Amino acid sequence: MLQWGLEYLLGSLTLTGLAWAAAAWGDSGDWTWLPSFLDARIWWSPVIIGTLGLLLTLAAPVWRYRVHRWEVSSDVVYTRIGWITRQWLLVPVSRIQTVDAEQGWIERILGLATLKINTASHEGSSHLTGLTAHEATQLAADLARRAHDLRDDAT
Amino acid sequence: MTRRLSPLTWVVGALREFVALIAVAATGLAVGGLSTGALFAVAALGFGLVHHVVRWLTFTYEIHDDRIELRRSLIGRSAKTIPIERVRGVDITASFSHRLLGLAVVRIDAAADGDEGVLDAVSRREAERLRRLLMRPGELDVEPDSVIARAQPSWYRYAPLSGAYLLTPFALLGSALGTLYNLGDEFGLISEGSLAHLGDNVTGVSPFIGVALFALLVAAMPVASILVFTWFNWDFTLRARDGSIVAERGLITRRSVSLERRRIRGIELHDNPLERAAGVVRLNALITGLGDAEHRGRLLPISPHRVAWRVAEQVNGPFRADLSPHPRAARRRRVVRATASPLLVAALAYFTGPTWLVSAALVAALLGIPLGLDRYRQLGHASDGEKLSVRSGSLRRHQQIIEHRAVVGWRLKQTLFQRRVGLSTLMIAVGAGNGSYAALDVDPEEAIDFASSITPAWIKPFLDAH
Repeated sequence: MLQWGLEYLLGSLTLTGLAWAAAAWGDSGDWTWLPSFLDARIWWSPVIIGTLGLLLTLAAPVWRYRVHRWEVSSDVVYTRIGWITRQWLLVPVSRIQTVDAEQGWIERILGLATLKINTASHEGSSHLTGLTAHEATQLAADLARRAHDLRDDAT
Repeated sequence: MTRRLSPLTWVVGALREFVALIAVAATGLAVGGLSTGALFAVAALGFGLVHHVVRWLTFTYEIHDDRIELRRSLIGRSAKTIPIERVRGVDITASFSHRLLGLAVVRIDAAADGDEGVLDAVSRREAERLRRLLMRPGELDVEPDSVIARAQPSWYRYAPLSGAYLLTPFALLGSALGTLYNLGDEFGLISEGSLAHLGDNVTGVSPFIGVALFALLVAAMPVASILVFTWFNWDFTLRARDGSIVAERGLITRRSVSLERRRIRGIELHDNPLERAAGVVRLNALITGLGDAEHRGRLLPISPHRVAWRVAEQVNGPFRADLSPHPRAARRRRVVRATASPLLVAALAYFTGPTWLVSAALVAALLGIPLGLDRYRQLGHASDGEKLSVRSGSLRRHQQIIEHRAVVGWRLKQTLFQRRVGLSTLMIAVGAGNGSYAALDVDPEEAIDFASSITPAWIKPFLDAH
């Protein structure tokens, strides 16, 4: 959750920054093609973006945490993600081709990792975020071993 | 045994350059008189020949039991090794000059970063021998060459329906004008004065001629489309040979694509409303891990329904189930989706833009209603125990029939709008074709039942938890 919060925070800060810069540029320069009502309110855009960003940072991670689920039974990996659009993904271990455990820089600070599962089809690939680094590496090794054991030549 | 490419290869290369050389020599002549022109030509020909012979000398290939090695040692040495196991397809292409000399270019498609092995060029016989060795059939697969289907010339008239090559007359005109300009420039015909003069001439010409010319181009579109289509797909023949399916086509350049039968996991049929009205359809094969699937997987170009389904059965086995329709709610959703964007555009145009845009958008929205209804009608999914099928689309309708064993995963997707009306989209992850095929707007319960019927072992553990 914290990881997502940080990600969202950074994202919205950047966006707000960009919008602010754009507004400043628009104000100083003379953008004649912009309709007049927009021009007068050009400073609204960074304010709006900033507020939205703040809301997103506060609300989204909690919601995502509650909705995001994953489970690995003996032979199938099940993932549930998404808050506005929901997705349930089922990938049998026998069809997994590669498993990667990756850490972005935020993740490294927080001690988390993302598990990337790849299958023959782009559709069947998934990311499991928010795992602890230890869990992720263990799971990766585990899945890779089981995939190798269960592999049959269907693809 | 290490082999070299056919020595005639550099003849082909030289021939091609010779033609370009004539143009260079002509320019040389025009510019500096006989001696300069002759000098240009001889020098260029000499360099070209040396280049080709050197390339020929330094390239060798060797085929072992389990791999083929292509080696080039010019300045640096490079060796490409392709394990025969990983060969997905072998293309044999022969351009006009190649055909004259009895040569062909062999392209080996292996599953390695899209980098194919190219043998340019070997003799026809050698190409066939290589293909036989590379597309290694299983012990049981040896079968005599048999024709599965052959495109009839009368089918070429359907070419304009698919929109292929329709803009050819415009493209040709454009490039012709471009070439004329360049030539004129070369020969000093074009200058400030002449251009201005030309401009006067053109504007002086009556608009009637302009319209007539445009009308001519438009009328030429379907004709050009048929001609170009015929050029590329001349005598399209589908053969079964030694465990692979071979598709041959082409008038001047003959191209032959072979696909291993055991890699075929399904078929796909495409059409658009015009083609549907004419009763024709296009057929592709779904191959495991195929790159350029669009062209390589083509089993039939545009052809009548009956033939396409017969070939589909022969290549992939019969499909004995009818597509079941999707819930009523899907109909409303399809219509809404088809009319929503034009309506949005109309609304925006009403406030800001020109009035013609508003009426155009409203017309589009109106047309969206039958479009949405047709889209709903085309939706369907089914399974006959061995294969599954999904269909969707109207302007670009496609139906896939895929073997059960090719399924590698399931994804059930539900947007906010779908949640409210009790629908979802089932996406089937397949290790073939483009990887993902969808059954749009199905009832979630039905989707899960469908998935269970196909891969029960995967779904059962989660049925309760869900």
